[in-house]
Amino acid sequence: MSTEERRALEAEFDALTARIGAIVPADRKAGLINCCEELRRMTALVHGPRSPAVEPANVYSLKPTGARS
Amino acid sequence: MSAKEPLHELSIAEAGARLRAGTLTSTALTRHALDRIAALDPLLNAFLLVTRERALADADRADRELKAGVDKGPLHGIPHALKDIYETAGIRTTCHSKLMVDHVPQADGTAAAKLAAGGAVLLGKLATHEFAIGGPSFDLPFPPARNPWNPDHFPGGSSSGSAAAVASGMVRMAMGSDTGGSIRSPAAYCGIVGLKPTYGRVSRRGVFPLSYTLDHCGPLAWSVEDAALTMQVIAGHDPLDPASADVPVPDFSAELDRGVGGLKLAYPRSFFISVDGISPEVIAGVDRAVQDLARLGAKVEEITLPDFELFNACGRVILTAEAYAVHEENLNKRGADYGRLAYQRMMPGAILSAADLIQALRMRRELYAAIARVLETRDVIVTVNALAPALRFDAFPPDGTLRTPGHTIPFNLTGHPALAVPTGFAKNGLPIGFQIVGRPFEEPTVLRIGAAYESVAQWTTKRPQLELKMAG
Repeated sequence: MSTEERRALEAEFDALTARIGAIVPADRKAGLINCCEELRRMTALVHGPRSPAVEPANVYSLKPTGARS
Repeated sequence: MSAKEPLHELSIAEAGARLRAGTLTSTALTRHALDRIAALDPLLNAFLLVTRERALADADRADRELKAGVDKGPLHGIPHALKDIYETAGIRTTCHSKLMVDHVPQADGTAAAKLAAGGAVLLGKLATHEFAIGGPSFDLPFPPARNPWNPDHFPGGSSSGSAAAVASGMVRMAMGSDTGGSIRSPAAYCGIVGLKPTYGRVSRRGVFPLSYTLDHCGPLAWSVEDAALTMQVIAGHDPLDPASADVPVPDFSAELDRGVGGLKLAYPRSFFISVDGISPEVIAGVDRAVQDLARLGAKVEEITLPDFELFNACGRVILTAEAYAVHEENLNKRGADYGRLAYQRMMPGAILSAADLIQALRMRRELYAAIARVLETRDVIVTVNALAPALRFDAFPPDGTLRTPGHTIPFNLTGHPALAVPTGFAKNGLPIGFQIVGRPFEEPTVLRIGAAYESVAQWTTKRPQLELKMAG
């Protein structure tokens, strides 16, 4: 991640945490942003091209009331 | 019993046979364990709490019951301990965190209750990474557990105290939890056996959640047989755990002596051979294990799997999202009350979008299908566990990271059962290991293969020389 991208990530993090009212301990922030950077790299990998028919792992099927699960 | 066979070297089956024959009492076994904890734990910090009175009361009850012919199963009268995320009625359950340091549950979780109902003796509560995620931290209310093979080194985690307690012979079995490798990694680092059962096989109720869809409860044990006997007590459907599977409970020990003749092993060597940080000794260890299993009659086929980085990314996105959801309020308002590492590893969940999580869940189905395809025509996958022997504590950076040096998270994502087994020792004297991954609910097969390998490898004959370290 370039310096510019890192700054943008930090700004995004600051905006998000301000919106949710999170209090971020100052002495932990640099390491936290490092973890956010790692997560952002991982997140990019899960956004692969997929057919709309590829469903998530947590779809479920209902059973009639009283049926054994 | 000879001088060469101290009580802590008896397996669960051996101790159980003597308890039933009347040549040993649970009270003697328990007092021996308590003495061993008193002698060794100051060096290892495995226990956060020793429940001495409870243990002696459990043991006395077990002795009376066994004498009266009441047999509650394979753990009756056997001392054990629980990772301190397992809720225990009337006994402090801290998750190794300042946030929970005074938490005393009113009821046992399901696994703790099953162990109690099975007559097992509770010795105490064990160190963990904070909320089963932090890391080896020195800014928590309790110190981190240490590796019995060299206390300057990390014991793995997050079931760190469980592994240290088993490897040092304080207990034969301790319960752990595994969300991204937290049973199997400490088992590898401490040279013991650890079973992450199939998702849904063991109830998670009353075990503090880290990630709802990735959490698994299971045993860490000195031997495969001890793990199998523990599974007999803790497995089973729990209607109070929505993930619990309503499937028959097999005899987990029934196939331990059957050998591996004719079983088909998939070996994804390309999956790990060139990953960053893998130790040549770990590769040599798993290669040797595969060769040993082939010599014993297994059919080995080299296969390929999707890139590990895909499994890792998918798993970490889901884990971080779910952990943040579990801790959202405290992370946002009381961040400074968490240890540095747990906070830095969970708080990034705040930046994930709904689409990020859904894409990860879509990828999860694809990755499950990839593993399931391999196991359609093979019995198990054999692969690496931790990538290298345990690091020294002083080699850890001060800040957290989402990356962990192991190949365990794929099978949390897919839910397949995975057994960690030692493959020996690195040149620095620290243990290394591998894992055996089976089809859903086919734990008896992974245990069977683990037992066959264990019987030829004989790693359980060697213990850490802690007494020497303490004397020195």
